[in-house]
Amino acid sequence: MSEPVLSIRDLVVRYHGVTPARTLIDKVSLDVGKGEILGLVGESGSGKSLLCRSVMGLLPSRALKIDAGSVMLDGRDLTAIDSAEMLHVRGRKIGMIFQNPSSHLDPVMKIGEQVAEGIRFHEGATREWARSEAIRILEQVGFPDPERQYDSYPHEFSGGMRQRAMIAAALSCRPEILIADEPTTALDVTIQAQILDLLMNLRDRLGLSVILITHDLGVVAQTCDRIAVMRDGQLVEHGEKRALLADPQHEYTRMLIGSHPSLPATGEDEEPVRAAIEKKKTGALLEVDDLHVEFDIGGSIFTGGRKTFKAVKGVSLQVMPGETIGIVGESGSGKSTLARAILGLNRIASGHVAFDGVDLAQQPAKALARLRRETAMVFQDPLNALNPRYTVGDTLREVLKHNGTPSAEIPGRIRELLDLVHLDHEFAGRKPRSMSGGQCQRAGIARALAVNPRLIIADECVAALDVTIQKQIVDLFAELKERMNLTLLFIAHDLAIVRNLCERMVVMYHGEIVEEGPTDLVFARPKQAYTADLLAAVPDIDPDRPLLAPRAARPPDAA
Amino acid sequence: MHRYKFVFYRPLQLLPVLFGISVITFILVRMIPGDPARVLLGTRATPTAIARIREQYGLDEPLWRQYFYFLENLAHGEMGKSTLYKIDVLKLVMTRIEPTLMLVLVSVILSILIAVPLSTIAARRQGRIADHAVRIVSTMGIGFPPFWLALMLIIFFSVRLDLFPVSGYGRDPLDKLWHLALPSLTIALSLSAVLTRSLRGAMVQALQSDVATAARARGMPEGIVFWRHVLPNSLVPTINLLAINIGWLIGGTVVVESVFAIPGMGQLLIRAIFSRDYMVVQGVAMVFACATVLINFMADVITVTLDPRIKL
Repeated sequence: MSEPVLSIRDLVVRYHGVTPARTLIDKVSLDVGKGEILGLVGESGSGKSLLCRSVMGLLPSRALKIDAGSVMLDGRDLTAIDSAEMLHVRGRKIGMIFQNPSSHLDPVMKIGEQVAEGIRFHEGATREWARSEAIRILEQVGFPDPERQYDSYPHEFSGGMRQRAMIAAALSCRPEILIADEPTTALDVTIQAQILDLLMNLRDRLGLSVILITHDLGVVAQTCDRIAVMRDGQLVEHGEKRALLADPQHEYTRMLIGSHPSLPATGEDEEPVRAAIEKKKTGALLEVDDLHVEFDIGGSIFTGGRKTFKAVKGVSLQVMPGETIGIVGESGSGKSTLARAILGLNRIASGHVAFDGVDLAQQPAKALARLRRETAMVFQDPLNALNPRYTVGDTLREVLKHNGTPSAEIPGRIRELLDLVHLDHEFAGRKPRSMSGGQCQRAGIARALAVNPRLIIADECVAALDVTIQKQIVDLFAELKERMNLTLLFIAHDLAIVRNLCERMVVMYHGEIVEEGPTDLVFARPKQAYTADLLAAVPDIDPDRPLLAPRAARPPDAA
Repeated sequence: MHRYKFVFYRPLQLLPVLFGISVITFILVRMIPGDPARVLLGTRATPTAIARIREQYGLDEPLWRQYFYFLENLAHGEMGKSTLYKIDVLKLVMTRIEPTLMLVLVSVILSILIAVPLSTIAARRQGRIADHAVRIVSTMGIGFPPFWLALMLIIFFSVRLDLFPVSGYGRDPLDKLWHLALPSLTIALSLSAVLTRSLRGAMVQALQSDVATAARARGMPEGIVFWRHVLPNSLVPTINLLAINIGWLIGGTVVVESVFAIPGMGQLLIRAIFSRDYMVVQGVAMVFACATVLINFMADVITVTLDPRIKL
């Protein structure tokens, strides 16, 4: 490592809102070298974001205090300087970008002004000079028409462009260090690849040092020089990327690497997949035929004309009993709309959905009754999908009662369901608030299983979870599929998870299916360039399998 | 500038609203027990005299025909003749509209001048003494009834200190403002309390928002963070609350105008109701309705200007 530009020594951050004070950062020491990208890895609550906030002097609560240690930058201790001096460190020495550009950019201020703001304040520049400087920076981070886009507002851009705007604002005063807090977590894989490429490019051109906070080891493997792993406020391991990935010393690091979904499935997992493929070819449980779903957008009696957005355009799909199908695609590709239409939650414009031979359009009452009784959905945000006032037991009891389970059998069934999802029986008395994300999602799955469903639709059900928890939930699905002969429609933007869980996959793009087939085959030999781009954009944990040259995924040929 | 397209077609939506209001007030006013002719002539009027007056004002015609005449008059820019004042209602309203308009305008300006600084102080010192003080004062402002506040202000400022007149409305602009000081303060104390609560809440949220955090991470001092990011992002809900309250206020000036004896629309309305002056009640209700619609329209224009995401 080259000369460190930032050294953190024995930093301790405590929360003083309780007695005794709780230690959230526990004696962390870390160096950031000039021009290097340091990956800071850990799960939610590990203290990785808090560590960076401490460096910036932006602790999120007044009850949080730096109790010991130092943060040295240019021979000054950032924990000791006053707030006026700190203003000139933030923005000028250290820039920061965040996970969610939509909420961190000011919605009522032009993006150019948000970039120019720092230049005007820090460098005392005139409005004109700040503007020309901001336009130059916007161009640098990849705005195609910065002159005009200076005057645009954040909502006029896509998520990827918003993240570029945030990078531009963070870099406006030419900081030496950029802290990127989960900068690509909210983005599609292809956009993620572009943003990561931009960060590496900026590092090379500007000699920037970057601290990249992420939970995705694949991102780290592809971009970073060194890796630091945090857990429960402590630095458990750090070192050069290849050495650390090849030979992790700490058990927790090994578990993180083991949980990463881009590793090929082990032989054990592949057995049931084969078996499942053999047992199908009976009759389709779910048949979707030339399905169209449209939404009204705007149009009024004065401006005239009804405008519609076609979210799903002619999708046909057959799902056999016991099959696990992954539906993948970028945001806006229509995968969630498809799922909702199958369950009768979105109005169908044309086409057919038939569940177990009953057509949803022709016999809506009968089909809906059966659909709702025999299918279940698992949602993306496990905490918000559960009633906060109900205990897990109440939630399950409600479903069981509604399904006509005799009262005497309900307590037994609840215990059975909790066993199925590996939750302790005491969880029956707990409310979602006192449970972790993974435990909530298990409760959500238990609720789905309570109706003895023949089909489960899981909509991005692991996207909000930490990697190790993701792996547990995916393993749980794999186990349930095997034990209960479940049919599963698994919607995800994470291709690696689909690969490990699903035997067949469907790739959607702009409301259409552009590719489908057995998962192994699609991954090995994608027919569409679009699918190939999507696969290539997934950051692999092996640093020697680099991201392909990032670009917007090529739109597919006419299917 | 297609976002401002609504400025051209929104006034068209006023037509059905006004039609509905005219029908409802027309029917409601005539459902009040009592007869304008009888009120006009006193208790000892002869049946023939009453019949003559009823005929003169068209009160003997069937309801639908009376409504038709009303619409016909409206098309000619008239609102019918007041039974009490014997002149056209529109002319009558015009003589009374200025004091009310001034009262509302001064009250609103005063409310904003009170609410914005108080919210700013409270939000930026959240949880400290200044914040608690502002919250207690604004809760009290909501709690006190305006007529009581008005009497207290008169006792203190007019009777004790002899700073402002007890009642009435002046002649030249400055004199008018001087007369309006206490009435508008009465209204502003209640109105600014409502606004402060809303604005303080929005500011507290915006101060903790990701937008503010990102600005601080760029090294912006708290002052810039507040004026350039927090304030613009917290104004929109309060603007709409203000618009709703102004609509309520236009009707609500009745009480304050009575206490301070201001010759405005509120006073006119009260006298018209007591003397069953149908045409005046109708006319005043229509004017109030138009004003409310207009205020909300203005609020929409301001909202669209403040928040580029909003499309109407």
